[in-house]
Amino acid sequence: MSKWRLKFSKLGMGKYISHLDLLRTFTRSIHRAEIPVRYSQGFNPHQLITFSLPLALGVTSETEFVDIDFEDTVSPDEILTRLNKNLPPDIKILKVSQPIFKAHDIVSAKYIIDIIAPRVILKEKIESFFEQENISATKKTKKGEKEINLRDFIKEVKVVSLEGNAFRLDALLSAGGEANIKPDIVVAKLQEYLNSSEFESVDIHRVEIFFENDKKIESFC
Amino acid sequence: MNVYERKFEQVLKKVQKPARYIGNEFNSVHKENFEKFVKFAFCFPDVYEVGMSHLGMKILYHMMNERIDTVCERVFAPWVDMEEELRKADIPLLSLESHMPVSSFDIVGFTLQYEMSYSNILNMLDLANIPLKSKDRGENMPFVCAGGPCAYNGEPLADIVDFFILGEGEEVNNEIIDAFKEWKESGENRISYLERISRIEGVYVPSFYDVKYKDDGTIESVKPNRTGVPEKIKKRIVKELDNGYILDKMIVPFMDIVHDRITLEIFRGCIRGCRFCQAGYLYRPVREHSTDKLIETAQKLIDNTGYEEMSLSSLSTSDFTCLQELVDRLLEITVDKRINLSLPSLRVDNFSMELMEKVQTVKKSGLTFAPEAGTQRLRDVINKNVLEEDLLRTAGIAFGGGYNRIKLYFMIGLPTETMEDVEGIADLAEKVIDVFYQIPKEIRKGRSVTVTVSTSSFVPKPFTPFQWEPQNRIEDLVAKQKFLKERIKTRSISYNWHQSHVSFLEAVFAKGDRRLGNVLVEAQRLGCRFDGWDEHFDYEKWLDAFKKCGVDPEFYAYRKIDHSETLPWDHIDIGVSKQFLVKEHDKAYEEKTTPSCREKCSGCGATSFGGGVCFE
Repeated sequence: MSKWRLKFSKLGMGKYISHLDLLRTFTRSIHRAEIPVRYSQGFNPHQLITFSLPLALGVTSETEFVDIDFEDTVSPDEILTRLNKNLPPDIKILKVSQPIFKAHDIVSAKYIIDIIAPRVILKEKIESFFEQENISATKKTKKGEKEINLRDFIKEVKVVSLEGNAFRLDALLSAGGEANIKPDIVVAKLQEYLNSSEFESVDIHRVEIFFENDKKIESFC
Repeated sequence: MNVYERKFEQVLKKVQKPARYIGNEFNSVHKENFEKFVKFAFCFPDVYEVGMSHLGMKILYHMMNERIDTVCERVFAPWVDMEEELRKADIPLLSLESHMPVSSFDIVGFTLQYEMSYSNILNMLDLANIPLKSKDRGENMPFVCAGGPCAYNGEPLADIVDFFILGEGEEVNNEIIDAFKEWKESGENRISYLERISRIEGVYVPSFYDVKYKDDGTIESVKPNRTGVPEKIKKRIVKELDNGYILDKMIVPFMDIVHDRITLEIFRGCIRGCRFCQAGYLYRPVREHSTDKLIETAQKLIDNTGYEEMSLSSLSTSDFTCLQELVDRLLEITVDKRINLSLPSLRVDNFSMELMEKVQTVKKSGLTFAPEAGTQRLRDVINKNVLEEDLLRTAGIAFGGGYNRIKLYFMIGLPTETMEDVEGIADLAEKVIDVFYQIPKEIRKGRSVTVTVSTSSFVPKPFTPFQWEPQNRIEDLVAKQKFLKERIKTRSISYNWHQSHVSFLEAVFAKGDRRLGNVLVEAQRLGCRFDGWDEHFDYEKWLDAFKKCGVDPEFYAYRKIDHSETLPWDHIDIGVSKQFLVKEHDKAYEEKTTPSCREKCSGCGATSFGGGVCFE
């Protein structure tokens, strides 16, 4: 068994590292760390690296997962320490373990969304947005744009009023191959619904990823 | 976290490629307690992915940061979308590492790689809330300096820049930092710092020199306006490269940049002396790294970056004395690690082809050659020692070896050029095509061949034998491009050319004097920026700026200058004598070539530095 699942965080300005750039960052960090890694066969061999659930640009996270095929000779502890020494500061490996569950079974992800609005907004008003039957939105897909009912992608939301104009959303959103939604669409639609001028700040942070196992929802690891 | 950081972070959501602005890349240097250091902002007046590809910046960045008393941070020109957001949110230009305002640095240094980046310099100063003109900067403002190839004639920026650094920066940058610390301790005023550093060789403080003009607009004299400053300012070089600062790490960007690879500098200068090439004169004498040092450095760069590609860097790779040995030894340390080695700027010969075969383990893409001129006569004029038979033979070897795409670079508008020479470009390209079809079908790859012909427009540059030459008028260049396009009959040849308006402005600012300073200020005000980018270059705005300032750009680009005239850059000494350039200029008209430094010394004057190829 040489495939390892690395749990990592992507914080700070690291949220602006795109998915493709992140892949390149891992490739080069592995080179620097001199951890023997397996390459794909074929004309243009590349390291075997697969991210479980790509993270939207501009979102921080404390639970990202990447599967990497290392050669048998390295221990998980070694992978963790050597890679952390060679990753840029905003990306940190938290745990290395054997992959048990499949990324394919991921169904949802939990986000904390901190918003500062230009004025005080009542909690009830925000909640009423999420109570709508239908929230029509446009989703960008590979094939172009698609009209969707955003409500179908929002599994759970808790609204918390904070000090001043700030409020927080604890949101569980659809994620994975079946149905996936970027959290910023929810924020944009909410802003539109509230008839608010541009939010002063929006910070989105992914805290957990869930998958379906025997019809039960469990935390992905 | 400073006051702007939070706002800055939010703004990044709205722009393309936010990774341009985040910093924190592997090997970038982030120092705590910003205030206690001498703070140097290294500014590259173009977008991140262009600036990050520049070797000089990498060298000076790491060198300065290795000093325990100095922090050097990078600053790039924000792309137009980012500029708009910064201005809207009232955020000044910030450094990449600690996101500190550029105006809070002690020294703000720009690298001048090409003339068309000048508007970006002014725009960056404006974004940083630093007054554009040197004389308007107060006691607590940073010093603005500039270095790099265009600094040798930095006169158009003389009113903007507080001081120039001429030549290689490894030694002199350290000296100006040392001087800064002493000056800071002395408590003296701003001008006293400039006086202190004007005594350092390689530092040019333009405000310490007065320029007088004649009635016809030419220069009467350039003289120091105070005692203690040199009449002539001599460039600096690192005499022994192996003993100088060795760059053994590089920042590894997150995003794709123009040259996203290890750059291994093998030597500086060029032995060839092509008469149009400014770099060939500016960087004399040729100085090499030893192969042992290069291998040691290459190994460290591989370990410290994790890059999958390494490229050798110099003006002419083939002229490295131990190239075969170097390549063999580099392959030993790169192949197992799946690192591709690339050898740019090879000369047209068999040896180069063998080397190419050796290193090209993966895919055979296109090959690029630069004959520069279409006829042997004109190649002799410009001293580009490439023979047609060499080119054709090499093309034959390439086609036989599986290549089927060749790029050929030429210049149009060279001194003495006739339509025959222009036609020669098309003829040469056709001969290359013929070579392909002479090769048996079984050997060559693919059924057809593509030759791409690119022409740029000749820009006369200071410190070259052609510095006195007028540039072709835009309409003449366009006519030559059209003529060449019509001469190219086969569809196997595709033809690209450069915009002549850009080349015209390049000539104006390359050979310009201090009177262009106001034009730059006006152009910035009119919104000129990113002039090197086709989509942002606005020729009309530039013409408008010249008109408003009462400056005729044609005076600088189109005038044939007499050898006896005082040039705006005559008080700068690059080590190559004016007398030598005059001789080379005359020889060009006699269609006589000059041997390379290794064949025979032609007495250019660079021996005065006491090192390099002159003493091999």
